[in-house]
Amino acid sequence: MTKALNRRDFIQNTSAILGVASVASGFTLTTFAADKGPASGGKRWGMLINTNILSEAEIDSMVSACKKEHGWGFEEHSTGSQKPSWIKKVKVQDRATKKITSLPLMCQHCEEPPCVDVCPTNASMKRLDGVVLVDRHLCIGCRFCMMACPYDARSFVHEDLSNQKEHMPRGKGTVESCTLCVHKIDNGEQPACVASVKTDAVIFGDLKDKNSIISKTLRKIQSTQIRADLNLNTGVRYSGI
Amino acid sequence: MGTMFAQYSNNLSGNSDATYRTDPFHESISSIRKMHPELLKHKRNETLRHGVRTEENSLKECVNCHANINENTGHYIDVNKKGQFCSSCHKKVSISVDCFSCHRPTPTKGGS
Repeated sequence: MTKALNRRDFIQNTSAILGVASVASGFTLTTFAADKGPASGGKRWGMLINTNILSEAEIDSMVSACKKEHGWGFEEHSTGSQKPSWIKKVKVQDRATKKITSLPLMCQHCEEPPCVDVCPTNASMKRLDGVVLVDRHLCIGCRFCMMACPYDARSFVHEDLSNQKEHMPRGKGTVESCTLCVHKIDNGEQPACVASVKTDAVIFGDLKDKNSIISKTLRKIQSTQIRADLNLNTGVRYSGI
Repeated sequence: MGTMFAQYSNNLSGNSDATYRTDPFHESISSIRKMHPELLKHKRNETLRHGVRTEENSLKECVNCHANINENTGHYIDVNKKGQFCSSCHKKVSISVDCFSCHRPTPTKGGS
């Protein structure tokens, strides 16, 4: 004999089913946010470059990895100073000791970026996770940001381009610079230059995560920002300079 | 649904992936024709400024599906070339396609 469903049983059963459904949909939403969701302000991407370990050959490989990843450096009609340079090898010498250090220099992804301050069209922008980018849809090519950048990190495209990379649209009349390989970061990968160095000389990670390797290393070893006097709080830090 | 996709099978996308697609990707032909500038504009901000990298309304996916292959060479033809998917309508209404001065007009997959 089947038991008739009374009101109390009905409410109990229904709430149990609804409970499962809401948990399940919650899971779906959470997973989606982790995979394809927007950049979060809870993160700040940064890089630590240890020039004591990093060899000149490795710096060259970082530059060529960047060129290959983003397709710059193959401009035929630009003169030497016009050619784009997203990352370059810089040699610095201590005036007193005469010690020469080589380091890779690219956009330092400042927390207070001067390029963003001066941009008249909001094309120069900072993502919530600290990556500084140029929105070329809005860029009018005025090059104020190039003048404002203390690191000479930005380049202007002087010629028509073709055969661009699918993930990196580039075109004449706009300014460009290191993107910290956002297309890779968003997919959980490391930037191309970091991946090209096989040693621990270049570490990439989340500066806001206290347990990330970069945060732990920064707590342990001496590091500095280039032009720390400008108080820009750069995302790219150096050790050994 | 058959008639909807039959409209794609014109000489503009003769041998593109969109021609052979059986599942509906766009809400309707008329909505994508009318709304694609707004959808792309919204998506570009989502992707560049907020890092949302989904396939929906992404220009890369437009190109991936709608670029034709040159049967003689086996290479993709630029979607903005004369008579191709984008330029056929844009030329008719005299609106330039600016996307491809920066964006790649052919898919990277399986061709050049």
